Amino acid sequence: MIKLNVNGQAREVDVDPATPILWVVRENLEMTGTKFGCGIAQCGACTVHLDGKPVRSCSTPVSAAAGKAITTIEGITGEDGTLHRVQKAWIKAQVPQCGYCQSGQIMAAVALLEKNPRPSDTQIDAAMAGHVCRCGMYNRIRQAIKAAAGQPATETAA
Amino acid sequence: MSRTETDSTGKKGKWTRRAFIGAGVVAGGALVVGVAVRQGNPIDRLGPLLADGKDEQLLNAWVKVDADNIVTAVIPHVEMGQGVYTALAQMLADEMDADWSKVRILEAPADMQYVSDSIGRDFLLPDLEVPALFEPTVAGGILELAQAMGLQFTGGSYSVRATGQRAMRTAGAAAREMLVAAAASEWQVPASEITTADSMFLHAESGKSEPFSKFALAAAEQSLPAKPRLKSPENYRIMGQPKARHDIPEKVDGSAIFGIDAKVPGMKYAAVKAAPVVGATVASMDATTAKTMPGVLQILNMGDFVAVVADGYWQAQQALNSIETTYSKTEGDSLDQDAIFARYARYLDEAGEDDGDMETEQGDAAKGFAEAAIKVEAEYKVPFLAHATMEPMNCTAWVRDGKCDVWSGHQAPVNARQAAADAAGLAFEDVTYHNAYLGGGFGRRSESDNIVMATRIAKATGYPVKMIWSREEDMAQDHYRPSATSRFRGGLDKYGKAVSWSNIHTHLFDPKDAPTVPYYNIASHRIRKVDVPMQLRFGPWRSVDHSQHGFFIESFVDEMAHAAGKDGYEFRRELLAGSERHLKVLDTAAKMSGWGNALPEKHGRGIAFVPSFGSIVAQVAEVDMSGPKPRVKKVYVAADPGFVINPDGFTAQMESAIAYGLTAALYGEITLGDGKVQQSNFHDYPMLRINEMPAVEVALINGDHKHLGGGGEPGLPPIAPAVTNAIFAATGKRIRELPLSRHSFA
Amino acid sequence: MTTARTLACVTVFLLAGCSADAAPGPVEQIIVREPGAAPVATGATAATDNDPASALIAEGKAAFANCAACHTIEKGATNGAGPNLFGIVGKAAGAVTGFAYSDALKASGIIWTATNLDSYLADPAAKIPGTTMVAGAIAEPAKREAVIAYLESTTAN
Repeated sequence: MIKLNVNGQAREVDVDPATPILWVVRENLEMTGTKFGCGIAQCGACTVHLDGKPVRSCSTPVSAAAGKAITTIEGITGEDGTLHRVQKAWIKAQVPQCGYCQSGQIMAAVALLEKNPRPSDTQIDAAMAGHVCRCGMYNRIRQAIKAAAGQPATETAA
Repeated sequence: MSRTETDSTGKKGKWTRRAFIGAGVVAGGALVVGVAVRQGNPIDRLGPLLADGKDEQLLNAWVKVDADNIVTAVIPHVEMGQGVYTALAQMLADEMDADWSKVRILEAPADMQYVSDSIGRDFLLPDLEVPALFEPTVAGGILELAQAMGLQFTGGSYSVRATGQRAMRTAGAAAREMLVAAAASEWQVPASEITTADSMFLHAESGKSEPFSKFALAAAEQSLPAKPRLKSPENYRIMGQPKARHDIPEKVDGSAIFGIDAKVPGMKYAAVKAAPVVGATVASMDATTAKTMPGVLQILNMGDFVAVVADGYWQAQQALNSIETTYSKTEGDSLDQDAIFARYARYLDEAGEDDGDMETEQGDAAKGFAEAAIKVEAEYKVPFLAHATMEPMNCTAWVRDGKCDVWSGHQAPVNARQAAADAAGLAFEDVTYHNAYLGGGFGRRSESDNIVMATRIAKATGYPVKMIWSREEDMAQDHYRPSATSRFRGGLDKYGKAVSWSNIHTHLFDPKDAPTVPYYNIASHRIRKVDVPMQLRFGPWRSVDHSQHGFFIESFVDEMAHAAGKDGYEFRRELLAGSERHLKVLDTAAKMSGWGNALPEKHGRGIAFVPSFGSIVAQVAEVDMSGPKPRVKKVYVAADPGFVINPDGFTAQMESAIAYGLTAALYGEITLGDGKVQQSNFHDYPMLRINEMPAVEVALINGDHKHLGGGGEPGLPPIAPAVTNAIFAATGKRIRELPLSRHSFA
Repeated sequence: MTTARTLACVTVFLLAGCSADAAPGPVEQIIVREPGAAPVATGATAATDNDPASALIAEGKAAFANCAACHTIEKGATNGAGPNLFGIVGKAAGAVTGFAYSDALKASGIIWTATNLDSYLADPAAKIPGTTMVAGAIAEPAKREAVIAYLESTTAN
């Protein structure tokens, strides 16, 4: 049995330690907010936090989470249901289209703003370029990050 | 009491005490507005919709009003990110004078009665102006045919312009009239004295007011009005507003359920690999290692694919990866990229001047070209493209005791249900299809190959199985956007005016008018196609044949402009002379972009104009060529879809189509080697990412509120030619083959 | 294979599905176990070796499977989502021809000693901010040691 800390709760799962965190979260813990997009860390849809840092859960074995806190998209919303300012900004800017990539995008944006409360366009690019949005909502994602950071909107990076 | 309804439209419907189901007795758009149903209706397949509570009235097929005065719009389309749930609800709610804050949205079950007749009509009788006298007869016939084709489907940029315009608005207006008739009857006042607003009735003279729910039961007793009056734009309160989408909140907190998120107790997981070369089958399967791997339950050779079923998807995929499979030989085994295009060239050569299939002919284009003062010739090529939806193809199925349940995200739920029935050897009635949000459709999810595979696996195992394709499998087993070659000859007179247009190209699927240019004033046209066998499976890809022909046509128009010594914008103005609506769109895009103003060195502007799916779109791309590869800095879009129901939603669709089309223009290429697709994941099928997304500015034009165009696709066809025309303006290098990554710009 | 395992694997050859209308059923169906039945012993683990060094390399090779999604290891093999890693230990960062490195990595000036590789793999973004190498690829120190030993072995004789 492997002991995990997921969204602040102690959980136990009976899995092979090599199982990627993505599948443990989705199948053993039945939390489907974290998505499968490519399996080789190329698209970002599977992003969760390990001790607050974004990782690609499709390529990270659950053994790597030993002694660390896993946060998924379900854990971003407050316990009383209050949305994180990033989620609020996402709704205000009407960011999602199909929405499948957005859990990963939001996880990356939350981590970015924790580390850097007022990111420049270049810093936004660096933090978010690893995330594919097939519906192409990149400009709205940028707008929403800036709004959540309390900054004025800009169009794109240089 | 029962009565037979024969109203002025001349076709009999049947009204019973409990339900009105009538084909062809209608209103406005000549389709079935009403399946008015109350609880207890024994033939009620719509029962689940009323299960939420008692005293609910399903007023007609599209709307219900409950005791809390909540109006639920029943939407016969699927939400794949295009905002259709909200836009259609806006159309119904506005006509109904409903309180938008109390409107809920429900997706219609995969049921034959929800067939989109409007789409049936557009597919079967496009551009047909049917005299009102014949409308109901035609409508009845269309509906039957549409039902037979299982048309309950979302795509073709149809939802707003067909179902929305014809069904949702009519239903909303009909519901309102029935409600008012009921209120008038209860209050004993003329209906004309009652006004409605925000789901309330008001009788000004007496000061009486009541919510809709008060008379909803009585309204269901009213007959369906023959011709409910629709609002004109000055009275729109909800249409034309950027209402927030209902589905977005669940897409930011992880609670939205996509096909891949289906949960069934006792569910197991399957990973699959189909034969990489089309037409091949599994010759041998060595599962020695797989049998010993953790979590494995079953290993299946299904003939055309191998499946491993396990306790978890990852375990299934690891075991599948260890299986050694050989495949049967096919003729396609030796095909590669060059061979495909060589084949296209051969077929086009063989068609010569006179063969091939004529699509459109006007005047004598051959003569026009021969006598032209200036002659332009060019050949263009575009590759196969993958859909690459973010959510890989998947399906969950359970077959037992003569019943089947299927869970997925699908663009045509009725087709999916039928496909599962066929695969399981069951009747349509024995299958329950559960639709979910789609993590990207783009045409890929209108196919049912995943439904069939999962159903076959589930039937073999007997327990619920969730089949998930790896990204590699999704890339290898797509129904691709076809590659194509197109050859042009254009003639100009000595004033540089276009006088003849000749085109021969490979394939033509849909829409049939994609290669045609009736909106351009060119005296003679001659457009032909040649059917060529393609190695790969193909299917509709966002904007379908407009994706290839938009590039071909707008590139060639630009080449003709250049040969005429004219600017691409001015040349197109001449071609559109007299078409006010088209010119307004073109002029708007040019003006927005500052066309003609100086740009920094090595920067260029390109313009492209493509009417498609009933909308007119012009784009100007600004490209920076100072680096080793093209950088698209900004795209200006002018779009006229007749009337914009939701400006924010429509703008988002333009941004979306530009990103999707630009990804393809810059990088998109599915190549063949040894008969197999060579690309496998996002490292070798690159995606546009946030750092390469251009700024996008969109101007919306309401050019004709009576004829709506679509939103999902029209923003795509212009982007590739706008970019390549800009590259030409900046560098003098003409791109005739996509993607841009094939070319060196050093 | 033990007797128990042999009995647990049932191979069934089936004809097409029961109804004439149904899509074809399996050509071959291997039932390893029923859902809910106790799982068979997991697949063979890496063979033990008397030589700890080669055991470490073998472990590293097995762990490299996770990296293989993006990196090739054979000499001269093409770059994937990440650069080919043949002989990477001791090389300067950003030097494999044909790979589109991030500007950050190219400018880092780092030499890939075992120590630098270890700290990089532990937290790429901390070591070289702006790198596009994914985080969390090899989170365990012991596994990193094994993988680095394997990478070193590609140029050793």
